[in-house]
Amino acid sequence: MMKLAALVPLFPLVGFILNGLFGKKMSKGLSGTIASVAMLLSFGISLAVFLELQTAENKATVINLFSWISSDTLQVPFEFLIDPLSSVFLLIITGIGFLIHIYSLGYMKHDDAFARFFAYLNLFVFFMLLLVMGNNYLILFMGWEGVGLCSYLLIGFWFKNNAYNDAAKKAFIINRIGDLGFLLGIFLIFTTYGSTTFGDIFPNAGMASPAVVTTIALLLFFGATGKSAQIPLFTWLPDAMAGPTPVSALIHAATMVTAGVYMIVRSNIFYSMSETASAVVAIVGLATALIAALIGLFQNDIKKILAYSTVSQLGLMFLGLGAGAFSSSVFHVTTHAFFKALLFLAAGSVIHAMGGEQDIRKMGGLKGKIKITFITMLIGTIAISGIPPLSGFFSKDEIMAHVFEYNGLLWFFAMIVSALTAFYMFRLIFLTFYGKFRGTSEQEHHLHESPPTMTIPLVVLAALAIFGGLLGLPEFWGMSNWMAENLDTIIMHHHETRLSHQTEWILMGLAVVSALIIILIAYNVYRKKGLVPVEKEQQLKDWQRPIFHKFYVDEIYDFLVRRPVDFLSESFYKVLDLQVVSLLVDGIGNSVKTFGSYIRLIQNGNVSTYIVGMVMSIICILLFIFLI
Amino acid sequence: MNGLIIICGLGLLAMISEIFKFRSVLFPLVLTGLLAALALNVWEWNNPMHISYFENMIGFDRSALAFSTVILAIALLWFVLAQDYFKSGQHLVDHYALVLFALAGALMLTGCKNMTTLFLGIETLSIPMYVLAASKKNDLKSNEAGFKYLIMGSFASGFLLFGIALVYGATASFDFEEIKAYIAVFQGELPGFFYVGVIFILIAMAFKIAVAPFHFWAPDVYEGSPVLITGLMSTVVKTAAFAAFMRLFMMCFSNVSELWVTLLAVIVALSLAVSNFTAVMQTNTKRMLAYSSISHAAFMLMIIMSDKGETASVNSLIYYSLAYSLASLSAFAVIYLVSKNGSEDITELNGLHKRNRLLTITLTIALLSLAGIPVTAGFFAKYFVLSQIPSDTLLWLTILAIISSTIAAFYYLKIVGSMFFADSYTKEPIVVQKSHAFVLIVCVVLLLLFGMVPGLITELALY
Repeated sequence: MMKLAALVPLFPLVGFILNGLFGKKMSKGLSGTIASVAMLLSFGISLAVFLELQTAENKATVINLFSWISSDTLQVPFEFLIDPLSSVFLLIITGIGFLIHIYSLGYMKHDDAFARFFAYLNLFVFFMLLLVMGNNYLILFMGWEGVGLCSYLLIGFWFKNNAYNDAAKKAFIINRIGDLGFLLGIFLIFTTYGSTTFGDIFPNAGMASPAVVTTIALLLFFGATGKSAQIPLFTWLPDAMAGPTPVSALIHAATMVTAGVYMIVRSNIFYSMSETASAVVAIVGLATALIAALIGLFQNDIKKILAYSTVSQLGLMFLGLGAGAFSSSVFHVTTHAFFKALLFLAAGSVIHAMGGEQDIRKMGGLKGKIKITFITMLIGTIAISGIPPLSGFFSKDEIMAHVFEYNGLLWFFAMIVSALTAFYMFRLIFLTFYGKFRGTSEQEHHLHESPPTMTIPLVVLAALAIFGGLLGLPEFWGMSNWMAENLDTIIMHHHETRLSHQTEWILMGLAVVSALIIILIAYNVYRKKGLVPVEKEQQLKDWQRPIFHKFYVDEIYDFLVRRPVDFLSESFYKVLDLQVVSLLVDGIGNSVKTFGSYIRLIQNGNVSTYIVGMVMSIICILLFIFLI
Repeated sequence: MNGLIIICGLGLLAMISEIFKFRSVLFPLVLTGLLAALALNVWEWNNPMHISYFENMIGFDRSALAFSTVILAIALLWFVLAQDYFKSGQHLVDHYALVLFALAGALMLTGCKNMTTLFLGIETLSIPMYVLAASKKNDLKSNEAGFKYLIMGSFASGFLLFGIALVYGATASFDFEEIKAYIAVFQGELPGFFYVGVIFILIAMAFKIAVAPFHFWAPDVYEGSPVLITGLMSTVVKTAAFAAFMRLFMMCFSNVSELWVTLLAVIVALSLAVSNFTAVMQTNTKRMLAYSSISHAAFMLMIIMSDKGETASVNSLIYYSLAYSLASLSAFAVIYLVSKNGSEDITELNGLHKRNRLLTITLTIALLSLAGIPVTAGFFAKYFVLSQIPSDTLLWLTILAIISSTIAAFYYLKIVGSMFFADSYTKEPIVVQKSHAFVLIVCVVLLLLFGMVPGLITELALY
């Protein structure tokens, strides 16, 4: 049965090939069905594998498919690893992937490039599955690059719009910067341990010097900051919202952006061994979470708010990773996948109803018009705000407890992040669904609930967002924390929380109370007073301006990186390229051609010349051998 | 061995098919025969009972079976491709018989264990090829090609015979194993003419695989012969000649390797330089591919040269033959289909992208493989060669090989570029019939498959 897991990535690949090659000739129904059925089959097998793993004796199965690279010291088998960590990710990817495929059937119905969309989506799932199933860093990296490519293709899916293309390019280039770090990390791992296979590396991790381990950990983390949108490489994710909304939900919220978390949990041994690296991860994570949450307060585009919220939540996960709470972070990845996919899909449904409008200042009062969307989105919002008993509460609380134990100051700032989250999310809800409708009368007339293909995934995800917390109930409640026990074998160094039950109760209480107070404030500002964000920048207060401008990060990068690079390229082009390289290259090329034209003269078509040439050569050879 | 018997039988059948009037079923018969031969090869691989035949004159061990499987598979694809070539023209059955007998010679070469079978194989392979090169009777160039091939080929055969005679004179045996044993015992006391004999045999073999300075025939013959026959020359003939070369020099003359390794190094260096520099200047596609085949032959020679008595090098040679044959066959197939209603000029491929997409993709993959770009089989083929060259003594050769690969990439990629970006004279689409499309797709898929999973070939257990 375990061996069947090798089929999981195969179905999306077949779906991609069918849709990619023959999509144009197929009807929309057929190509959508192929893509969705491929996902359903993958999900079915993932589920079976997952269930079997729960009772299996051996928690890690390696499936060897073939020998991929076999060259002297570099031996890379193409192997899949099925263990508790990858099986959880398999379920998230294929399960949520399937729901989003269903949703896309409705959302993309009127798009001409329907088959292309599903081909890309299947290809993405294929690479994402490789990423989490690979048994060595090389396959992981292949998947890593593959999802990056699909992300690029899907952000720029509507390629006729230049701004979207720019966003796609930005995402791709910034990710490449991170990939460089990841690649260097893999190189260092290979030179240190002589292998890229997980099973060869982790048991021997201690053989390397602490400095090397720290370097590896930091390089891998730098790779993660690209894919998972952390400081300094987070700026691409908000722009990535140019892609169709299901893409934002699947790639830029639920799966791809959590690849960095997956990779670090997979490599947790390095982080357990290096306090410096862990501290860097924690601080960068927290800083990202805080900055993104602040920026989120002043966004007016419904998808951008969710994008910054994603960056912020990812920051919290990295904070957890830095604090050593690996299983809690995976738990948060899971619940986050549920409620963030839900929020994005619901936002997509709102956009669909509004006929493409994404600015929440032009919405309002949608509560009664699109009931299912409203209720499910509210559930998602409550979940992300950390109100019990919804899923987000449990996972966030687990991370918070670990962070408190790790460092009180970090915990304090993390509490602020969590409060800000509750505020901007409820701001979104109040502005979108309550009050009076602020759009055009044409839009008001057009308002309608989305078709069932879109609402059913919403309802399923809402249920998951409500009950997802059952996966990891707090141990101090006397419950069993399934997630922590499940991932037990993956985590190399355990550190048990030593907080007293009393402290844990207090922390939990503080979190809930502060969230409730913040929601009340948001209610007061946006519901009671009916405040609508200002249209013009001039009306902002001085302290708000930098936040409104996203802390000028893009501008700073432009100044610090782009301009020097432009300047360098320009001068290199003028001096080095035109003056030196061109002459050199042309010179070599021309001399090759000249030389070639001389040799050509020997080849004159005359048999006697040829034979004379051969005989002369033979005489030379004999002389060479017997005289020298 | 069964494969050889079947192919010989098919050749005889083809000859009598005119008399007994069953020419119309000849094509399916040949395909069935080839498939049966392939199947029997696989069976022999798994049931190695009889390895040697005829007093140890011919023997199908696993490496011979691997080479003959490559040859048979390529021949099968070639026949499917050449189906309509056999329909046109008057001397249908003669062509069938000639190709089949050439194939029989090729199979004999893969299994030769004796100077007699070596010579017999080479002649059985070559003589039909001389005729086939001249098979476009009304084309002056084709006649010229056949004639040149014959003259130069006989010249080389003379050297081969002379060399065999000298070696026999020194060792009193034709048998590879006996010669090897003799050399091992009397090393250092062998007469000077023995070494001359080895050199003459090497020169004759170098002629057959067309490496510099014995390559002069190749560009003219490749250009003049009908495209499909050229395709046959650069795949089946080349693989068979290399199989024999390998058996001869790795098995028989391995104990006097100091004699021929330096010589081969010079030949390789010369071939790499001459072929790649000249190919840049070519305007005829077939001629360019002829030079490309010289450069690939040089690469394959490097495997024989750097042999350390390990099976890895035999595997590399099989992998290289397969990768090169597939790429070469698909390239010639595309040229054949394009030049049916046009010329064989490189400019004929301009803008092919707009005329037929399948042909463009096939030729692109084939050329990328020839250039050794990853994901195609050509990459690993070259990689294995370069990784096996002993770096202490022959580093300069490795560097030269890499430089010449870079130059080669130029003329391959130039064609790829012009297929996509240049304007063609005509926009008229090219229609590809289903069987041809099948061959092209099989070649492309295999090139990519072996490029992604080289272990399929390199991990075959040959012993």
